[in-house]
Amino acid sequence: MAVYRISRAPYGYSRKNKHFYLDSEGRHKCSCGNNCSGKCKHGLSSKPEFNYKLDNNNDETVSQEGSEYAFMDQESAELIWVKESCDIVINTTDTQAGVSLQAGLQLAIALVLRITIGDTDRSEAVSQELMQQFDMTQSNKQKIYIYNTKDANITTTDTDLAINIQVLLQLLVALTVIVDIL
Amino acid sequence: MSDASKPMVPEKVVELAVDSIFKKNGIKPEELKKNLTDEQKKVLREMVEDLKKQVDQFNSRNNETSE
Repeated sequence: MAVYRISRAPYGYSRKNKHFYLDSEGRHKCSCGNNCSGKCKHGLSSKPEFNYKLDNNNDETVSQEGSEYAFMDQESAELIWVKESCDIVINTTDTQAGVSLQAGLQLAIALVLRITIGDTDRSEAVSQELMQQFDMTQSNKQKIYIYNTKDANITTTDTDLAINIQVLLQLLVALTVIVDIL
Repeated sequence: MSDASKPMVPEKVVELAVDSIFKKNGIKPEELKKNLTDEQKKVLREMVEDLKKQVDQFNSRNNETSE
């Protein structure tokens, strides 16, 4: 995933525009034209304190003064870091709603099996086997860093969760067709 | 982003998987139908319809934000 941001000096007091982007390896590149290898002092910020190496470390969470972060951890983790920036619009998937919907579907499948099969042991064996085959739990980790940026829109989606929900619904519908409910 | 309205797994695959798991556990679909009263069927039908609606809502919300 590449996150691409442009920061621009307001009111044209500076003609230097800086383009930041993080490529998939998390390297920091700068387009100020000087060979500054990521530690650019030719732009708006005199001393970038941002640790770009964070992008490679999945376990580490470092909190810095003056920064905001939101962290949601269910089956997906999302970290959006906004620092020294303004007018940033963020849209994220409602992970909480997705996770509870997924739990609701799993419960419904187990319920249909329990009512129709009757025998507790057998119904539990069946629902466990079905869940194993269809429940594709994957971890989804997204980290986005915005630094020294103005007027950016960020949109993130959790595709894994959406697919999982779709598959569970398919399974539920298939079951209900088999037992003649629908 | 994949199209959420299309089934993620082919229908036949789901049917076959469910069928094989039922067979493995010695469950016959014909017997299952007899175990349900009309009242139970109605409640389960409502539950499934409700969940379908919720999934649709969730998907449409996702698609809105991904545009």
